[in-house]
Amino acid sequence: MPLFGYAAKILRLDLTQRKVIVIETEKYHRWGGGHGMGSALFWDFCKDKKITDGRHPANVCCIMTSPLNGTIVPSAGGRCEVVGVGVGMYPISWFTRSGFGGRFSTMLKYAGWDGIVIEGKADKPVWVDIRNDQVSFRDASSLWGKDTWATQQEIWKLIGVSSDTRHQWQDLQELDLLTKEQRRGKDQGRSTQKPAVLTIGPAGENQTAHGSLIHDAGNGAGQGGFGAVWGSKNLKAISVLGTGSIKVADPKTLIRARVVTKEKYVSSWERPDFRAWTRLGGFPKPIIQVPPPTIDRRPQSCQGCINGCRTRYNIGYGNESACQETAWYGPFARKVAKTAAENTEINLKAADLVQRYGFNSFLFQTGLHWLEYLHEEGVLGRGKKVHSDLPWEKLGTLEFAEKLTHALSTRTDIGRDMADGWVQAAIKWGRGRDLQTGAMQFSYWGWPEHGYDPRAELEWGYGSILGDRDTNTHCFNQIFTTVSAAFAFAMPIRIEAEEMVNLHARKLSPYAKGRSEVLDFSDANMYSEAVAQLVRWQQHYCRFYKQSALFCDLKWPDFYNTNTPNLEGATASPDAGEQVFWNAVTGDKLTFEEGIEIGRRIWNLDNAIWVLQGRHRDIVHFAPYLYETKYEKGELFPFYMWPCRDEKGEWRYTDLMGRSLDKGKFEDWKTIFYRLEGWNRKTGWPKRSTLEKMNMKFVADALQAEGRLGE
Amino acid sequence: MSHRMRQPDKKLSQRLLGSVPYSDRLPAGRLLPSLGIIPGDVRSLRELHLVLTPDVRSLPGVDLTALADWVGRVMGDRTLAHGIRTITRESRSYVEGCMKVYDLVGYRLDQAREVAGQEVLT
Repeated sequence: MPLFGYAAKILRLDLTQRKVIVIETEKYHRWGGGHGMGSALFWDFCKDKKITDGRHPANVCCIMTSPLNGTIVPSAGGRCEVVGVGVGMYPISWFTRSGFGGRFSTMLKYAGWDGIVIEGKADKPVWVDIRNDQVSFRDASSLWGKDTWATQQEIWKLIGVSSDTRHQWQDLQELDLLTKEQRRGKDQGRSTQKPAVLTIGPAGENQTAHGSLIHDAGNGAGQGGFGAVWGSKNLKAISVLGTGSIKVADPKTLIRARVVTKEKYVSSWERPDFRAWTRLGGFPKPIIQVPPPTIDRRPQSCQGCINGCRTRYNIGYGNESACQETAWYGPFARKVAKTAAENTEINLKAADLVQRYGFNSFLFQTGLHWLEYLHEEGVLGRGKKVHSDLPWEKLGTLEFAEKLTHALSTRTDIGRDMADGWVQAAIKWGRGRDLQTGAMQFSYWGWPEHGYDPRAELEWGYGSILGDRDTNTHCFNQIFTTVSAAFAFAMPIRIEAEEMVNLHARKLSPYAKGRSEVLDFSDANMYSEAVAQLVRWQQHYCRFYKQSALFCDLKWPDFYNTNTPNLEGATASPDAGEQVFWNAVTGDKLTFEEGIEIGRRIWNLDNAIWVLQGRHRDIVHFAPYLYETKYEKGELFPFYMWPCRDEKGEWRYTDLMGRSLDKGKFEDWKTIFYRLEGWNRKTGWPKRSTLEKMNMKFVADALQAEGRLGE
Repeated sequence: MSHRMRQPDKKLSQRLLGSVPYSDRLPAGRLLPSLGIIPGDVRSLRELHLVLTPDVRSLPGVDLTALADWVGRVMGDRTLAHGIRTITRESRSYVEGCMKVYDLVGYRLDQAREVAGQEVLT
């Protein structure tokens, strides 16, 4: 029986032996795809799951697709998931994840692969050339040292895409790799596409904690330091060119669900619902949210996606970058820019810089403020305690951005101390107190605060510290952005607080269905069982639907929708819910709740790996500043609005700034969370009974053998 | 928009066109969905003007009350500080206040540039 939606095989690359092994996807079907399959593959192939640094030769890195990749499922077709032990976290670099968009995952599936398992270490730099079934290890000595864009251009040339592919068919069979015997029928292997290349730049080659994986101009897997993982394995790039297709189980239902999405849930450009909230964020709907083209820019999207969250600019800089990369240097560029146009140009060129170096600019979000602070305090600079020859007086200029990125990518200047992680560098420099005062806002596991302060946005913070990294899962925080923006504009509130939480609660099956109190982030409720259920739901939902099925994080879930008469969103709906698309593609008969249950299983497998790595509840703590200082009221934005119940039990939007976390109460909350998860309350380790109920006896046995079972 | 502010003298103009030390910075963020609140600060009126520049995708994050105090105390411009306080008091919304302060600061910068003999930009 065919595995609809899947390519049916997974590519295992043994870099040490330079061997290619084929794994049948069927064996891992129960894990869905993406992250779930990646975790299971890691479990099976990582010989030492106690490693705490992703640069260890035993580390296994999986690049995984989803059954939905390469199909027309809205906002789900082009994401790709990366898992493995990360680099640069603190105190332990956990088994972690990252993801990126573009066209790599679809091309990989068209080539016939559901994922790639990377293990071992090549004796010298290699890149991997995949063309449908043909896979070869190729010498990367001429690519080593090149930036990510130059590397991709060079690989396109090496493969033979030397000229304009718009007008010429690329015949895979005439390329230099194949022997005559390997060639097949003439109807296979023609494409007008360029290979999709995933590569590292200098930051990864030098195995720094900031190393990203980059694909095309601006798709990056930043968090996790997977660039350093590849660098440690002497793996420069993977190129893939595929000419196959994906079989869909029920095309009719898929088309119908897609049409329903368009007709029922989508904002119309002709009749936009400007009453919805505000102008902020473009059209007011999460599923389809295309910033309209302007004379300055036009949207660009992942393959198959009907959105266009990235941009191509008329000035030619920052193309296909989005979000953090185009914002990291903004607070500094404006210190030197004389005009808004100059400010934009520096910002976009700085985005290109980090993409080319393969550098995770997310670390700069709060990290560069900390470095500036050290410089201004006289700690960092020429002849200072932390010596640096960088021209700090030029912070804000493009020249400085280039020198800083170069230093951190090449382990030069302060980059030597920072290559193993930012918190590690702070400790080495005797600046541990900066994590207490908040001068260094690295909130959880050595990662910087994202922009959703855990003292206000509980599900973000709690989810991050109970997981492995900054969670970066935007399930609920549109409440903050849309409501706060409406308050900022003094617009009528489109959906009042009580209705807002009820709309969400209808979708929070199974743990919190109908329980609106899970979204009550008031002081009185912030350490409650209800909030624990919300965090569980988010983790389990994301582990399956976002990180395994690879529904886009920025577009799903759709809890409420101002285009529908009753304001109900598409999530879990019988006509265009996540499970409808999943079933149409795969032929499964999954309920929405069963998807959540798969997510719970994946979450538990991840937690088991963390436990083997050394996770214990005693180390599950936020950075001290979140307990010891208050979230300064109105300092960086006037308010942080969120639905809360007042002392009379009535719902209202309330500003959550001005508070800190209570360490003792958070400890009690962790106990509640562990109980709900079926984990030991004293250790946070999973119980055998919990694992066996999920058919994970093999995990319980492994934990028991290491004396780390929670019973 | 017309603003009635007496032109700053040469000394004040120089200060309004310059930067203040790091220790005198004013926190200023930006709400950028879906990135969240991006931290930052300002150390000059010119920078403040860029922070407040209207943008369709994001909102500036400035405490307008603290800003007025900062302009008066750190920049030494009591006239501008008074103007910001008036706008803050009379604006129907935070965003309206930001846009009006943006106009006012731009006007003030042009006044200072004129006094300093620099090119007027806005």
